[in-house]
Amino acid sequence: MKIHVKTFATFREVMDSRFDMEYPQGATVRTLLDDLVKKYNGVGELIFASPGTIRDFVNILKNGRNVHFLNGLDTPLDEGDVIALFPPVAGG
Amino acid sequence: MAGLNTEPTERYRRQIAVIGEAGQEKIGKTRLLIAGAGGIGSAAGLFAAMAGFGSIRIIDPDCIGETTLNRQVLYRETDIGRPKADTAAKAIHAMNSDVDVEPVIAAIGKIPVRDLIRGIDVIIDGLDNYPARYVLADAAWKCGIPFIHGAVEGFYGQVCTIVPPLSPCLRCIVPNAPPARQTPIIGVTTGIIGCVQVTEAIKLATGTGIPMSDYLWLWEGFREKADRLKIERVPACHICGKGEYKIPSGERML
Repeated sequence: MKIHVKTFATFREVMDSRFDMEYPQGATVRTLLDDLVKKYNGVGELIFASPGTIRDFVNILKNGRNVHFLNGLDTPLDEGDVIALFPPVAGG
Repeated sequence: MAGLNTEPTERYRRQIAVIGEAGQEKIGKTRLLIAGAGGIGSAAGLFAAMAGFGSIRIIDPDCIGETTLNRQVLYRETDIGRPKADTAAKAIHAMNSDVDVEPVIAAIGKIPVRDLIRGIDVIIDGLDNYPARYVLADAAWKCGIPFIHGAVEGFYGQVCTIVPPLSPCLRCIVPNAPPARQTPIIGVTTGIIGCVQVTEAIKLATGTGIPMSDYLWLWEGFREKADRLKIERVPACHICGKGEYKIPSGERML
């Protein structure tokens, strides 16, 4: 199945802004992030606080809904999903 | 009108051509709260005053320092050491004496938030941290007041217009606050974001256009790119949904 990935703000300094990934059924957000760590240098420390634990403020949206409120890293991926990754900016 | 000899509507003639006299009248009756008198709040305060918003309450606990002068357009070198809210109110009044300006020298959370938002029609978020944003945005949601979120870092900025009861709330967009730190900022980014927020406020006040209420608008200055990121309400959100989601420990509710 094809998954569309979009990145924003400072995440674009280490990843492409838009790309697609192919997965078999059963893949999860964790599968995708593990692949992004392998694909792009610097993604691991940007997204993970420690292996398997995502930094709290990293926002991952599946079709507009934050996976924080779904099943977190175990949120399943489905055909055609748009996964967006962005770090919220805070300053004023 | 102090200093001007023309009819009040003359001042707004060029924008009345766009929004009509009825639209201008609606802006004149709209009461804004600008939360934070920093880079975003300065730009928003200036353009909100020029647009002719009826009243502006502006809150900030801090004083003007030299490091604020790369972005906070309401202040001058001679203002260093003065309270931001008070100085901003004077600058806004000097820009447009029709606007009823009220400074509040306090931090969000240190005064009763419901008093702060009482009588307010639209809130512009120019805050510099998420704990304060959550306090204000949660209260705004519960009181049915639109909250125009804005934030910046470096060349990046984001805006989302949160309009209860239908749009996602701030918690749906950013459930966890990034760690507190001094944010690096290119001054113009605050100007861009503050101006986009006032554009949203004008749209809400006049009922024209479509507010950015179901997506996050993201600005990327050094690539000159703007993107929309679709946002959906979270049914389990404890603010705008059914409330199964528990608030992170250590975080204060209203």
